[in-house]
Amino acid sequence: MAEKTYAGPIKSVRVDALVVLKICKHASSAHPQTVTGQLLGMDVDGELQITNSFPFPTVDTPAQDDKHDKENASSGNVAPRSKVNAYYQQEMVRCLRDMNVDASSAGWYQSASLGNFLNASFIENQYHYQSQHNERTVALVHDTARSTAGALSLRAFRLTPAFMAAQKEGKFTIESLQKHNLTYKDMLVELPLTIYNSHLLTSLLHQLDSPTPAPLNALSLSQPMPLAPNFDALDLSIDQYLEKNCDLLLESIETHYSEVNNQQYYQRQLAREQTKIAGWQAKRKSENALRASAKQPLLPEDEWQRLFKLPQEPSRLETLLNSRQIEQYSKQIDGFTASVSAKMFAVNQGLPRTEL
Amino acid sequence: MADNGSYLHLARPLPTVPIPHVHATTAPLNVTIHTQALFSILDHSLRRNLDQERVIGTLLGVRSDDGTEVEIRNCFGVGHNESQEQVEVDMDYHKAMLALHLKANPREVLVGWYATSPELNTFSALIQNFYASNGEGTFPHPAVHLTISTEPGQDISIKTYISSAVGVNPERMADNCLFVPVPHEIRYAEAEKSGLELIAGAKNTESRTAPVMTDIGALEKAVEDVLGMLERVSTYVNSVLKDETPASAAIGKFLLNTLSLAPKVNATEVERMFNSHIQDVLMVSYLANTIRTQIDLSGKLATYNFGPKDPILAAAAAAATTAPVASK
Repeated sequence: MAEKTYAGPIKSVRVDALVVLKICKHASSAHPQTVTGQLLGMDVDGELQITNSFPFPTVDTPAQDDKHDKENASSGNVAPRSKVNAYYQQEMVRCLRDMNVDASSAGWYQSASLGNFLNASFIENQYHYQSQHNERTVALVHDTARSTAGALSLRAFRLTPAFMAAQKEGKFTIESLQKHNLTYKDMLVELPLTIYNSHLLTSLLHQLDSPTPAPLNALSLSQPMPLAPNFDALDLSIDQYLEKNCDLLLESIETHYSEVNNQQYYQRQLAREQTKIAGWQAKRKSENALRASAKQPLLPEDEWQRLFKLPQEPSRLETLLNSRQIEQYSKQIDGFTASVSAKMFAVNQGLPRTEL
Repeated sequence: MADNGSYLHLARPLPTVPIPHVHATTAPLNVTIHTQALFSILDHSLRRNLDQERVIGTLLGVRSDDGTEVEIRNCFGVGHNESQEQVEVDMDYHKAMLALHLKANPREVLVGWYATSPELNTFSALIQNFYASNGEGTFPHPAVHLTISTEPGQDISIKTYISSAVGVNPERMADNCLFVPVPHEIRYAEAEKSGLELIAGAKNTESRTAPVMTDIGALEKAVEDVLGMLERVSTYVNSVLKDETPASAAIGKFLLNTLSLAPKVNATEVERMFNSHIQDVLMVSYLANTIRTQIDLSGKLATYNFGPKDPILAAAAAAATTAPVASK
């Protein structure tokens, strides 16, 4: 293993074209199920170069029931940490190393639909990678649904050191959040991502772009060229996309609401217990005062710790994740409405009209 | 890029041993290559050992039921040693890797092999016969052999072949075969379009890199592309009108068809639709932003409640939480 000469944080991520296509293919073949896979690459002076990847086989679920969509989705989610895959991963890396592929782990990738990837298993996977495998790993998220509607959506994430520390302690109480100064905004850090082509690939792309002149006929004109510009971004179907986004947003708000309720329930419970304890202590004190005046031995005053049990504070992790998820949806909607309103104004102005 | 050359579809030789249940066919074979496989081969070719002239690997993909369409979707490299007299292919590696691949992509099957040099030699025949063999190979379907030249400074040429057995006796047939060229087509999946576009965007930059685009950026690019194409078409039409370029009936018809696609719509109808939609869109955007603010506020309040920054609240909180303990 080469010695690391650079110890600073990872500043950017460079993804090979091959990896982009591999992820796209894997994600779309299983859409809308979540899929995961391994990334291989190298860390060069703070730039993580991802040069290869391979998909994880999905963990077998007992029954492929469509009703349990959520369960199916989570089976893909746990793949990076499962025991079966650890073996698969090892074997694959060993095989790829024989073919001179960079064999060090650079992280993992996951597919998502409309940005719905922020959940506990995403965090746990990335925590697993950053703590067990190699600190310098990233999670790439490929958004299948968004990519078909326009620009490719591929993002690189890492957990922040503050969050790593909090996750290590394993509890997300208000106190620990304050200690680490953690809000939902600084759980994850997104890294800038660039796509990289090899010389050979550049050559191929240029060649694909300028095909040998073929006999011109109506048929050859209607066939799309491999590298024709992509006009999906000009698509005007808005309702469907907005509707889905709103549904997801509403769902998240519901979760948020129930989390808040949990928290309030805990607060009330805590307050009730505390008044009970206070009452008990006051009683014990007056009793002791009586005993003291009667020259009797005093009763212990810290028995309340045995008698009363303070409720457990619910974990704030879910709330944090959910807040971050809502923020993500909102930003997504914001971005989408920005482009869609531009498109709509353009169409409105540009349409030829008949007077009627 | 479809392979536009003309092909003579020779009747493919039938397998020498008749097999039950499988109906052997001599129909022409069409090969579709997915871009991912091509990229993978090029990557493998870049990573070859210094002294190696070419690398080979296994092609995976799907085959249609009647065996006349082969789609090459995936591939992996296999190590091999070539010298003047003999060739050694790492068969154990091939088997292990195939098993691993099939685990993750159960739908893909072995369809053939590739080599990164355009020439076909006796070793090619040997390897081809292995891949087409009964048992581990693609038998009874023909194995597809794909060659891709990766000579720097020259065009990358891609060729696909299938083979038929040649030889006077069975011993000679094992290390001989006749490669029959078959047409191929490079295709990409719908889902890869946005990815490919981005990759193609990097081909003209010096650094061969491209940042990931935002949705607005993609829109801008698409609009610019459309403008560029319109420009090209109008220049062409103008030059035809001025008798500078020969006119083409095919292009003319195509343009006419395209122009007739422009919808004619009622003005008031459009206005109504536009207004109702833009209102929806703006409303959703407004609500989304409000929700974001609310969540932000909620998060802040949750951690701020007992925060030490506010002296009064902190004192109150301290008094509340430590009260039972203090009175101990």
